[in-house]
Order: sequence, then C-alpha cells, then structure tokens
Amino acid sequence: MMVTMRFALIVLFAMSSALAQEAGATRADWVHNAGTQFSWRYSALNQIDTANVKSLTPAWIFQTGDYAENLQTTPVVENGVMYLITARARVFALDAATGREIWNYRYPEPPPNTPGFVGNRGLAIGDGKVFFGTKDNYVVALDQKTGRMLWRVNIDDARQCGCNITAAPLVAKDKVIVGGTGGDGAHRGYITAFNTKNGRLAWRWYVIPGPGEKGNETWKGDSWRFGGGAPWLTGSYDPALSLVYWGTGNAAADFFDGDRVPAKADKSKEVNLYTASVVALDVDTGKLRWHHQEIPDDQWDFDSAYEVPLMDREVRGRMRQILVHMNKSGLTSVLDRTTGELLGVFSVPEVRTWISGITEDGKLVGRNEPKLGKTTTICPSAAGAKSWNSMAYSPRTGFLYVPVNELCADVTPNNRPAEEGQNYMNGEFPIKLAPGRTTYSHVDAWDPITGKRTWSMPYKYVLLASMLTTAGDLVFTGNPEGEFFALDAKTGNKLWSYQTGAGLRGGAAAYAVNGREYVATTTGWHSSVVGGAVMALFPDQDWRLGSTLVVFALPEGSR
Amino acid sequence: MKRSGLIWTALIAAALPCTAQNQAPNQTVVLKRGEQMFATTCATGYCHGARGGESGAPRLAGRGFDQTYIGGVVTRGIPDTGMPSFATRLSRPDLTAVVAYVATLNGVANPDIGGGGAAATPAPALSAEAARGARLFTEATRSFGRCSTCHEVRGFGISVAAPIARVPDSVPALKALATPNVKTGTMDGESMPSLVLSEGKKGPLFYDLTSAPPVERNAEPGSVKFTDGSTWRHSSVIGAYNDAELNAILAYLHTTMKP
Repeated sequence: MMVTMRFALIVLFAMSSALAQEAGATRADWVHNAGTQFSWRYSALNQIDTANVKSLTPAWIFQTGDYAENLQTTPVVENGVMYLITARARVFALDAATGREIWNYRYPEPPPNTPGFVGNRGLAIGDGKVFFGTKDNYVVALDQKTGRMLWRVNIDDARQCGCNITAAPLVAKDKVIVGGTGGDGAHRGYITAFNTKNGRLAWRWYVIPGPGEKGNETWKGDSWRFGGGAPWLTGSYDPALSLVYWGTGNAAADFFDGDRVPAKADKSKEVNLYTASVVALDVDTGKLRWHHQEIPDDQWDFDSAYEVPLMDREVRGRMRQILVHMNKSGLTSVLDRTTGELLGVFSVPEVRTWISGITEDGKLVGRNEPKLGKTTTICPSAAGAKSWNSMAYSPRTGFLYVPVNELCADVTPNNRPAEEGQNYMNGEFPIKLAPGRTTYSHVDAWDPITGKRTWSMPYKYVLLASMLTTAGDLVFTGNPEGEFFALDAKTGNKLWSYQTGAGLRGGAAAYAVNGREYVATTTGWHSSVVGGAVMALFPDQDWRLGSTLVVFALPEGSR
Repeated sequence: MKRSGLIWTALIAAALPCTAQNQAPNQTVVLKRGEQMFATTCATGYCHGARGGESGAPRLAGRGFDQTYIGGVVTRGIPDTGMPSFATRLSRPDLTAVVAYVATLNGVANPDIGGGGAAATPAPALSAEAARGARLFTEATRSFGRCSTCHEVRGFGISVAAPIARVPDSVPALKALATPNVKTGTMDGESMPSLVLSEGKKGPLFYDLTSAPPVERNAEPGSVKFTDGSTWRHSSVIGAYNDAELNAILAYLHTTMKP
C-alpha cells in the first residue's frame, strides 16, 4: 500500500512537472501578454531559427493611428486573430496573417484631470472576451468576436488614489485579475479579481495588512494606510496549484523610511509587509498562501512588482517547481513556488553600490541607505538595473534572457508628509550614467539555478523593450534607436536586425497561422518619465515616438 | 516606481465652488497655489526636483527663464523629452498659477497672475463634523463600502447614481431612502437589481447592483427584461458606517449641497 502510494505520488509529480513544462511554452497561439500564464515569453515554434533568421523580412505592418506617445503592449494571438491595445486604449482585432482589421474599439478619452501618463502595457483574452485596464481605473470587457463593450467596472477613483491600471490583466480560471499603479504616491496597493462572466467582484487582496491583521505590526503608526506597495504589473498563474503569483512594489515614502518603519525594527528581518515581495494567492479566494520579502525596508525604490516566470528545474539533485523573480535592483530570487522557500539568489548589474553583498539565504549585506539631509550616489538607479520590460526564459537552454541597464542616481531624501493620492517618493534622484563605462546596458543569459551569467551582449544606450525567445534558439528584442534584432540564444551573437523607425519600448510575440511562423514587434518610444529621463542622458540621440506593429516572417516559398 | 499615476492634477480646484469668481485674483494666493501645483504635478517621480531643483528632469530655478517662455513650454511641452504638454492636463487658472510660480523661481518679482482667480479661492471652511464627513465619504480603508463607490461629490467618487439632489434630514431618513429608480433586470434566468442608463438600439446599458462595486453592463438588445421595483435597499450598502459617521456625512452633504 505504502509503496503503491509512493509510486502514485511520484507519477503524479512527474505528470504535473511535465504539464508545467508543457504549459510554459506557446505554440501557434500567443494567448497571454507574457505568452502563457507561466510568463516565459517563449515560443516552441522553430521554423525561424539561427540558420535562416537572416532572411527574416516584414510580412505586414499595422499603423494604429494613436501616434502621440508609444506602443508598449505585447500583441496576443488566438486562432489566427491578433488583439492589440494602444496607449489610449484603442483595441484592434486583426487578421494575424495579413493585418486586415476585423474590428476596433475606442475607449472614451478620460477627463483631462485624470492623473497618470498615457500608456497601456497590454490586454488579456479569455472566456470569449478581451480585457484591459484604463487610465481612469476601469477594467473593461469586450466581446472577443465583435469588439462590443460587455461590461466595465471601476476599481478606485483615479483622482483620489492617484492610481490606475496600465498593465495587462491576468486571466486565471474564471477570474480576471488586475494590479494597479500608485505606489509612488500616498496609496495602499491591492490586487483585485473580477468574475470574467459578469464583472462582479471576486476578491481584493491588500498588499499592506490592516490593523489586527498579521504583518500590520511591521508598520509605524498608521503609515500602512498610505504605504505604497502597488503591484502594478502582471502576475502568473499555476493552474495545478491554483495559485496566482504577483510581485509587489516598494514601500512609500520611497526614499525616506522615517515615517513608516517602527522604532527598533530589525532590517535583517521583514519590514513593511508585504511590500517589496513576491506573493502567492489562492486564485479562488485571494487569500495569501505564502510570501517572500526581497528587500525589507526598500529605501531605494527597487520595486519588486515585476514578472514572475514559473518553471520546473532540478535544484541540488531534486526536481522542484520554482519561480524566478527579479526586482529593479537586479536582485533575483529563486523560490519553491509551492512553499515560498528560497532556493537561490543572485544579482545582475555590473555596477552595484546599494549593498555590498547578499548572503546565501537572501539577507542584504552593507545596506547603503539614503539619508535625510545628504546626497548619496546609488547604483543601480531607481530607473532599474532592469525596468518593467520583461525577461524571457527558454527551457531549451535553461537561460533567462535579461535586459540590464547600468545607471546610477544621486538620491537626496526629504520628509514631506503623506497626502492621499499625491506623489510620495520623498526624494530627488537625478539619474546619471554609471561611471567609467562606454556602454550602459547589456542583454544577458543567466542560469537561474547556478546564478551564473553565460553570455552578455553590450549595448551603447539603454534597453527598455521586453524579450522574446523561441525554440529556434533565438532571442529577440529591440533598442531605443529603433532596431529590432535577433541573438543566438546559446552565444548572444547578433544574427539579424531590422530598423523599425521608432524606439522599441513594448513586447514581441511569436505565433503561427496556417503553418507559417510570424514574429511581431511593437515599435514606438515612450518619452514620459523613464523614457524621457534616460533620453536626457544621451543628448545627441533622437529616439522616435510612434505606434506601429511590424510583423516578420520568412519569405513565402523559402520554408 | 509606478510609471503612471505621477501627474497629479487640479483636483482641489475642480472641487472648489466658484463663490468668488468675480473677485480680482490675489497674488499671494495664486503663487501659493502655483507652489502647491508645482509640488504635486511637476516635482514628482522622475521629473523636476522640489522648488525647481534638479532631479530626473533639469533644474528650473535660477535659469533666467522669462514668464512667456515658461508659459510656452508648460503649454506645449518639449517634443521627444519627458516634458509633456500640460495644456489639457491642468485647468487654465492652475496653468497660470504654476507658470507664475516658476517665474518667481527665476527672479520675476511680480509675475502676471491672469484675470481669473477662481482656482485660487480657498474653499469655505467646513465644520469639524462636516470635514470628518468629507473624509468618511471617500475613505479608502472602506474599499467598496464607501459612499464614493457610487456617488460623485465635489469631484471625487464614481457617478453611478445621479447627482445627489436632496440630502436626507437624518440618519433614519437616510436609511429609509426609497430608490424607485432601481429596477429588477432578468437576463439568462438570473435576476439582478439594475440601474438603467439607456435602452437604445445597441442594447440596454445598466449598472448591475448585485454586489459592490456596481458593474456597468451592456447587454444584447432584447436580452434583459426590466421590471419596476427591486429588493435592493440603500440601507444595505451603507453598513460600513455607524450612525455617528453617517451623521457626519450628512453634515458634509448639507454644507456642500447648500444653494
């Protein structure tokens, strides 16, 4: 009996592992913003490969007409139809083989006093609907076939909370789940789930526990009310475990902790929960299953809100269900995604002054904290060793492909009081180039298990577009100069590039229609905030705005 | 670092009644307003530093800018940089105020503060009780249980309900509030309390009030049947507040809704 049960468990585990590996890759369709709910940005298609990529040529181009700013989304494809959202939430359904428009929907322009910059980072599909968030803080559902609006629901008054939804929602089971921005303001972040069918609230999970809840004691006084932690990007979902994984933002005020950290707090332990963490929530109830705080008392705006790739890998001789999570400092945690146990940690930037090191169990050593009344140079900058643009993971090479920037900032904190919905960074932090270098970014291949970098391709300026990798052993991304390029996934050698005409700031996807593989990239620089701040570092550069989708394929007949 | 939500706009101005529209603007008040706008709109995120210092964006203080130049840049923005146009992001009085303030940072002693001082007019003082009511009305810790989930007052809240036309005299009257405009919608065999916005050719547009927050729904033409009356009661959605808090909210609304 015992033996049978053990055998059954082994079979079950092997099966779920196999399922997890299968579930991470896309094939003909690219149905989620990050490919699948496992957020690999990896396609199992291999028609385009290292040998023939040099023949890659534009198949069609789609001009969205929403040109004033940027195109930051990643297109989504299902059954030969592509869904695309622009900065002002104009949604298009296109024939994915030709670019012919099937329908379009324009979200009404929010009133001019709605806070927030113009930008949208993606949509989601599921349950026959297309979902997206808006600048005025609605979650909207359209009919996937017709583009007709079915329902919309407001998550918070943007004018009060200073928050809104810019990231792609995550569809998980029968829910559509969104985070929100606002963590640099006096705001308390949360993740909200709605039923896909009718838009009714399923659950809301606050990043910061309220009075009487476990973790509230890690906040000074009532600072929890406006303590930030906004989980403003898109999480992942493991259907086998029924768990949703999400990264949470840094605590607010960002650069000054005097009003939020309790006296005598031990910074080698957890502070300001559950900010600067990765969390696992039950998909049905939103209840916290486990958490891992990466930066207790984040005083650098290193914002752990980023993507959470899920994978199964052998760790120290044992097959584990893991996740990988990187915050803006480039500090990367490898966790058992069933329990939250820390299995490894590594740091990606070449210039690092915010800490002197990390222990094996993830403790920060030699914290270089900004101090009131002083200016401290901190590397990497608050713009991030990696910004929100996503990494990719290939199960063929086992590497994470990561865009890394080498920038620093001179941080001068202040202690302005919190005012709801208003900026609460409490610091000035002019960004500058890391000293003594001639290149300021690189695309890296990291093995998450060994924490070692296998190759690195340097680039002169900065990299702020997401990565795509495929079973053709290619890595695709783009740069602010407008070049969309392919690297050899095993060596980092540049194999192909194409000038799209505008800076790249969004994501790329691979898909197939009638057996032909396509690679689609958005192009259109975003100059507000980070884009503008980094552009100012290179005054001779003229990175162009735009809002265009360029789709590549091998020439007909060459396959 | 939330790359959105960093521009904080003229909320306060929008929320202020224009009781002193015809009065000449007061320079001290306008400059104070400009300073406040600068702190919340310009000295944010990756942008300018406090009081015009350098931060993610360049220093503005002591650069020798004249007011016309500042006005032009603020209105038009600087293409291909992080400096956006504020022409439609700020109200005209707020634009004037912030431009005047930046001018003072550049040694302009008596900047032009325009003709309209409405935005610079301070709000009439609320009583302590009414001020408490104002806070409670929109209090974030109450999540979807707060009044502003369905009511917009003074520029805050979601206007699910029609603007409040009459404020109940007492808490019992508030709790007894009749809501004849809430109907019962039936769709796919499911009944739901519904606030109908329109029943045009594109199908009915209505709020589904089954649970908070209300969901704005657009159904296929003919797919929903509405009948008068519903089981929905206003008293059942104000349970996040006790009677003392409701009293404070009524005090706030009485002050605000005064003709």
